[in-house]
Amino acid sequence: MSSPTMDLLRSEPMQLAQLIIPMESAHRTISYLGDLGLFQFKDLNTEKSPFQRTYAAQIKRCGEMARKLRFLKDQMTKAGFSPSSRCSFDTRVTLDELEVKLGELEEELIEVNANSDKLQRSHNELLEYKLVLQKAGEFFHSAQSIAAAQNHEFEANVMGEVSIDSPLLLEQEMSVDPSKQVKLGFVSGLVAREKSMAFERILFRATRGNVFLKQVAVEDPVIDPLSGDKIEKNVFVIFYSGERARMKVTKICDAFGANRYPFTDDIAKQYQTISEVSGKLSELKTTIDVGQLQRSNLLRTISFEFEQWNLLVKKEKSIYHILNMLSFDVTKKCLVGEGWCPISATDQIKNTLQQASLDSNSLVGAIFQVLQTEESPPTHFRTNKFTSAFQEIVDAYGVAKYQEANPGVFTIVTFPFLFAVMFGDWGHGLCLFLATLYFILREKKLSHQKLGDIMEMAFGGRYVIMMMALFSIYTGLIYNEFFSVPFELFGRSAYDCRDSSCRDASTVGLIKVRGTYPFGVDPKWHGTRSELPFLNSLKMKMSILLGIAQMNLGIVLSYFNAKFFGNDINIWYQFVPQIIFLNSLFGYLSLLIIVKWCSGSQADLYHVMIYMFLSPTADLGDNQLFFGQKYLQILLLLFALVAVPWMLFPKPLLLKKQHQERHRGQAYRPLYSTEDSFELEIQSDLHGHEEFEFSEVFVHQFIHTIEFVLGAVSNTASYLRLWALSLAHSELSSVFYDKVLLLAWGFNNVIILIIGIIVFICATVGVLLLMETLSAFLHALRLHWVEFQSKFYEGDGYKFYPFSFASLSEDEE
Amino acid sequence: MGFFVTTLIFVAIGVIASLCARICCNRGPSANLLHLTLIITATVCCWLMWAIVYIAQMKPLIVPILSEE
Repeated sequence: MSSPTMDLLRSEPMQLAQLIIPMESAHRTISYLGDLGLFQFKDLNTEKSPFQRTYAAQIKRCGEMARKLRFLKDQMTKAGFSPSSRCSFDTRVTLDELEVKLGELEEELIEVNANSDKLQRSHNELLEYKLVLQKAGEFFHSAQSIAAAQNHEFEANVMGEVSIDSPLLLEQEMSVDPSKQVKLGFVSGLVAREKSMAFERILFRATRGNVFLKQVAVEDPVIDPLSGDKIEKNVFVIFYSGERARMKVTKICDAFGANRYPFTDDIAKQYQTISEVSGKLSELKTTIDVGQLQRSNLLRTISFEFEQWNLLVKKEKSIYHILNMLSFDVTKKCLVGEGWCPISATDQIKNTLQQASLDSNSLVGAIFQVLQTEESPPTHFRTNKFTSAFQEIVDAYGVAKYQEANPGVFTIVTFPFLFAVMFGDWGHGLCLFLATLYFILREKKLSHQKLGDIMEMAFGGRYVIMMMALFSIYTGLIYNEFFSVPFELFGRSAYDCRDSSCRDASTVGLIKVRGTYPFGVDPKWHGTRSELPFLNSLKMKMSILLGIAQMNLGIVLSYFNAKFFGNDINIWYQFVPQIIFLNSLFGYLSLLIIVKWCSGSQADLYHVMIYMFLSPTADLGDNQLFFGQKYLQILLLLFALVAVPWMLFPKPLLLKKQHQERHRGQAYRPLYSTEDSFELEIQSDLHGHEEFEFSEVFVHQFIHTIEFVLGAVSNTASYLRLWALSLAHSELSSVFYDKVLLLAWGFNNVIILIIGIIVFICATVGVLLLMETLSAFLHALRLHWVEFQSKFYEGDGYKFYPFSFASLSEDEE
Repeated sequence: MGFFVTTLIFVAIGVIASLCARICCNRGPSANLLHLTLIITATVCCWLMWAIVYIAQMKPLIVPILSEE
């Protein structure tokens, strides 16, 4: 009886196909196949280096164009334009046209940039010149007025002594001998303020104090022509005498990066120079502005077409990469390609090939041929937006081997369920649900935006989180916790006082007067002294039961795998003993738990399990739960002991026998003639692949058995994390409620209440909704990856990555 | 009594959910089988959890002892 196949349980059937494409339609065929996105090409030229391949030159071209596009994008972002997302497909440019256009644009932009840099530098220099003219002019003006005043004074006292603080110019006029008159030269310019002290010092030292330096600070920072930054500068005037001093001063100025500007003493010429400079400045400004306008217009026109060009270049590059993977056939007129595709996509691919041949007016159509191969195909699952997140969780551990059972099917339900067992609070579950509902309702808009890294992950997993939230609401109702507050929603509580006065309520407690509370944990438990012992016992036993159930499911899946691959050895000598071992020990424990609950007995299960191993024949006494328990235990112990060698020995021996039978007939083969030496090689090759090392197989099986036997104990105990995390969550939640909210309420003060509410909300969101969610997510993931999947999953396949243009835009930067 | 009735309620909810799934999104036999499997798994998980909590409270060994108020 063959059952219908189930979506997602096993990989889509894949086939290896060979494409023979004539040269003239090659480019177009690959392009159409890229649009279709259902064919994964194999690289047939692995021995060749990237430079030896046929289309290396084309790829270099595309790389060059991509570089130019990056440059253009840089310029655009600097100018504040972003590439517009509306793509105009009416103007279809070819690659050659685009190459020329990009070259032109790049040249133009570089030229415009260089020009504007030059103009800007001249502008800044002129600005500095203007400052020098102003400041030095002030200084000379004030010095001259002092000199004039002193002159009057001097003429008044003809026979007076020479006063020390006579201005410099006066001294110059006083020198007697005109031929010995040394003309003082001066240099004016700007120097950076932070360097001005060092400047002065070095000048003094170099000229042995024979220069006079006057500095005036400029109030606002000035744009330095060379570096373009705003620097605080001082205007300086240096007076020196002699040619050697002039050279030294010039060199020192250059060393300090102080720009020198010519200056005349003549007042009239000064005014003229100033007006000239101002005129030139305004001219330059207009020129620069016009230049900027031209540049931004250019960049704006580019930004409209940018996305389209970018996509075109990327597409072409990928097409040439694929073309490089194909090999030439004997006649050198066709390209031969090999690749994987789903069997269900055969018709689509054939149609695409036909369409491409038609569109490129080629005489011969492309040929599609299925090849038989022993290679393992890639694994392909057809997922939709809901199941893809769960499949990614499974794939993160390992991609399924071709056609083995996919744990993703059950993960869709069990992963959120185990999360919810650890998270159980329907108030928190509701918050999580509302948050993820926002993501889901805004799906279309948010999927086109660029979100941050963490938001991206949360958005990608929105359906997982939604399932987690829904299950959390359910388990929250069962645990009866709404922000740690219980409610009596499903009927009356089962517990009540022993008598009407309730005197004993805090000493011996309540008693069960009615039927069990119908759904979930009885609300009377919350806040009592015996709450923790009861809940701990309940949750620990629940974890064990859930764990045994999931592990049994895993082993049953290994049975389905073995049946699918026709592997009888695995069924009889692996599946059966594994089921017997796990269930005769831990399945029996689960049975004891349920019997103890149903009968209300006080038996100590730890004691029962341990003494089942230590002294199986001893009498059970008070710990007896049902009639014949001792004999059942001895029987189960024997089953478990038999199961271990059953797992260990038969399989390697049978594999060896199988291998011998398969190759018995091939030990003696008729001799082939040398023409068929090629065939001989293939045969011996196959023979070589199937070499069988018995010791290796035995050790492998030994490790597998030990792993299972020890794992049975450790994995069962590992499920106790379900109890541990759920305890932590409920304790945290109850602390926040009791010690923050109720405390704030108790003060009867509005302000303290508001503060308390804010602290409660922050603590709930930060610790419980974010940290606990992540923590429970991680532990549920571990339980799936290790405890569940180790029972049946091999996960050594590789994923199907078809050549598709849609995935190109995802691989962006 | 309460146990079996509620178990039947769980079974009924599972059946109704499968019928709804079959009516609303009928996408071929393989997809239908997947939906059925998911619904059955979810129903079994939920029932298991409820049943464990219910049975544990049927014949309690310890009772609530109120804390000093």
